[in-house]
Amino acid sequence: MHLVELSRAEHSGLKIDPDLAEASAARQHLIPVVASEFRKAAIQYPIVFAKHPETGRFGAYVLNGLEPEENLFWTGMKMDVAYVPLNIRRRPFFVGMADSPSGANDNVLCIDIDSSCITASGQKSIVDADGSDSPYLKEILSIVRRLVDGQKHTDSFINTALSLDLLCPIVLDIVLEDGKPLHVEGLYSIDEDRFRALDKESIEILWNEGLMDLIYSVIISTGQIFNLVRLRNERASLNRAWRGNDN
Amino acid sequence: MAHVIRSICIVGGGTAGWLTAGIIAARHGSEDGNGIRITLIESDTIGTVGVGEGTWPTMRTTLKKMGVSETDFFRECNTSFKQGAKFARWVTGDPADFYYHPLVLPEGFPSLDLASAWMEYAEKRQDAPSFSNAVSYQEAVCELGLAPKLITSPEYAGIANYAYHLDAGRFVSFVRDHCVNRLGVHLVVDDVTRVIRNEAGDIAYLETRKSGQLDGDLFIDCSGFRSLLLGETMGVPFVDCSDVLFIDRALAVQVPYDAEDSDIVPHTVSTAQKHGWIWDIGLQSRRGVGYVYSSRHTTADAALGELQAYVGEEHRSLQPREIKIHAGHRRTFWKGNCVAVGLAGGFLEPLEASALVLIELSAEMISGMLPATRETMDIIAKRFNATTQYRWDRIIDFLKLHYILSKREDSRFWIDNRDPASIPDSLKDQIELWRHRAPGDQDFTSNAEMFPAASYQYVLFGMGFRMDTSDREPKGHAGAVEQAFARNESLKIKWTKTLPNNRNLINKIKEFGLQKI
Repeated sequence: MHLVELSRAEHSGLKIDPDLAEASAARQHLIPVVASEFRKAAIQYPIVFAKHPETGRFGAYVLNGLEPEENLFWTGMKMDVAYVPLNIRRRPFFVGMADSPSGANDNVLCIDIDSSCITASGQKSIVDADGSDSPYLKEILSIVRRLVDGQKHTDSFINTALSLDLLCPIVLDIVLEDGKPLHVEGLYSIDEDRFRALDKESIEILWNEGLMDLIYSVIISTGQIFNLVRLRNERASLNRAWRGNDN
Repeated sequence: MAHVIRSICIVGGGTAGWLTAGIIAARHGSEDGNGIRITLIESDTIGTVGVGEGTWPTMRTTLKKMGVSETDFFRECNTSFKQGAKFARWVTGDPADFYYHPLVLPEGFPSLDLASAWMEYAEKRQDAPSFSNAVSYQEAVCELGLAPKLITSPEYAGIANYAYHLDAGRFVSFVRDHCVNRLGVHLVVDDVTRVIRNEAGDIAYLETRKSGQLDGDLFIDCSGFRSLLLGETMGVPFVDCSDVLFIDRALAVQVPYDAEDSDIVPHTVSTAQKHGWIWDIGLQSRRGVGYVYSSRHTTADAALGELQAYVGEEHRSLQPREIKIHAGHRRTFWKGNCVAVGLAGGFLEPLEASALVLIELSAEMISGMLPATRETMDIIAKRFNATTQYRWDRIIDFLKLHYILSKREDSRFWIDNRDPASIPDSLKDQIELWRHRAPGDQDFTSNAEMFPAASYQYVLFGMGFRMDTSDREPKGHAGAVEQAFARNESLKIKWTKTLPNNRNLINKIKEFGLQKI
């Protein structure tokens, strides 16, 4: 990866294929999401919380696999999902605060000039022939704006949840169909029992801050883990079949 | 009618007083006033001793139970991680002579006896790893200057077992603020002028300079070496232990780092000297260094010379503070309605950082056994005394163990320390047993044990103690033993690769904080 600040003059000639952005998530089991995406994400993925390895701070993610570097939605061509997170759709563009722990260069739009999305066969450019922003760049800017705004909301949701002791570690002890045990660690979710035991004042805080929907989205999304297990079992049996044919 | 215990008065606002207040208040205090009322009287004219800067892993539970955030503790107390102790030059005095007493237990302990297997191997092979290196990964972590956890580890949770180094002065203020602001402890800043006893001999109340009378159903003496209540008022005599432990002076100095980002050593370093030993504790902003020695064996000037040689020429101008130590403890610790915690109960040299842990254990025991009435207090006092006496005896044994295993001959201090007349019988007995088998849980059967058998193993085999197991039946679990050694090797590789630099992690904790979960 090689990030440089986007320059409309310098990068006007770049040809970009946005469809290839999804390929960059092929080996990503956690994709960061912002609060405004929770509702849509919940129909496809488990929404989980995990600590940033460099800061220990919590972020919100959608879970794509049951092990690091596993993305069970990646088909080899695309993400077979009903909703693609903004953090995939913005690629190959980056904003400092979304991925860097320091957030020092936030609100600077960057482009990864090593990205495989930049290709001669790409149909998109950042500027039109007349030098104005292309509809594609306008769409990217809109996504990036939603991510930047959404990050603040997401952080405040996480802080409120933490202050009410609502986050708890998820312990997943899964035995796959082929008998392989899988122990998933480092993921956190909403503690339903604690949530249901909250006093009136705490519920009011959540209600007034508009966080109720988010909590229910997270709780409901947890069931998507069963879908991941199903996909994982399917993949395993396909692999076995493949090896069987190969022999 | 029964005399119900409703109030506790603690005398003395040092580490002992405030930790005791916090531990008891976290369990018995309450905001609505239905709990036990806890008052602490602290002098603004008497200073604290403030050299207790090394803890045991118990401090993690103690602080957690008090409702303290570990992040705040790191931010405010100059705190750093301690993963045990490195003992240098204790055996032969050579510059290369050292061993570790890590906090991680030997792999498979206590169900597997790696000590015997290691000894058998070490006797055959010159290149055998040290005992602590063979059975635990923590020495390797310490030698590389790594922290015991990750920034993603929750507060108080570790990957490798750990304790703390802290700035005693800042720690007192930190715990005081927490006690007063969060736990409802009442603070009286004043001096005690007289202690008044009732006809039964109990302490009735304290007279103070400005605040009138302070009463209480139970008085806790945290007045330091003076032992105002238990010693001076209740007349409980002092039992001198200097016939076993010769150290009676400390010269303490604070040494600045060369640079702001100098490495922080993640363990206590204890380096034996001609007439005692030097502690070296790395905090965030400075080191705490001190020479504890025997004034019966050397002079203050000679000791100062050794300390200066240790800290180096560039720190020659630092003025050490001298502290007189009286090794020993009160004959009983709880008498009538008065119990002593901390230095008021006794003191031993800081070789195994026993001061703070004894405060925690004593306060925890008072809190756990807190009698409901004055009438039942004597029963509790009897139990408290028996347990506390046992703890002191075990600490004395364990400290003495370090001295009797030394082979140093460079002064009378070391030679006299091996005089059988100076060795407690309880320790002699254990040593006899350990000539034939490794220390195990069967040697430590009380529920008030201080040191696990593993600690004795680390010191014994770290110091080259010879154990002959040839007269015993082979255990027949060679496979499990081999697996445990292999497991330790792989843990060593894993954690030396994964754990962060000690200062880096401490800086991150201060910047980002640790999560509670």
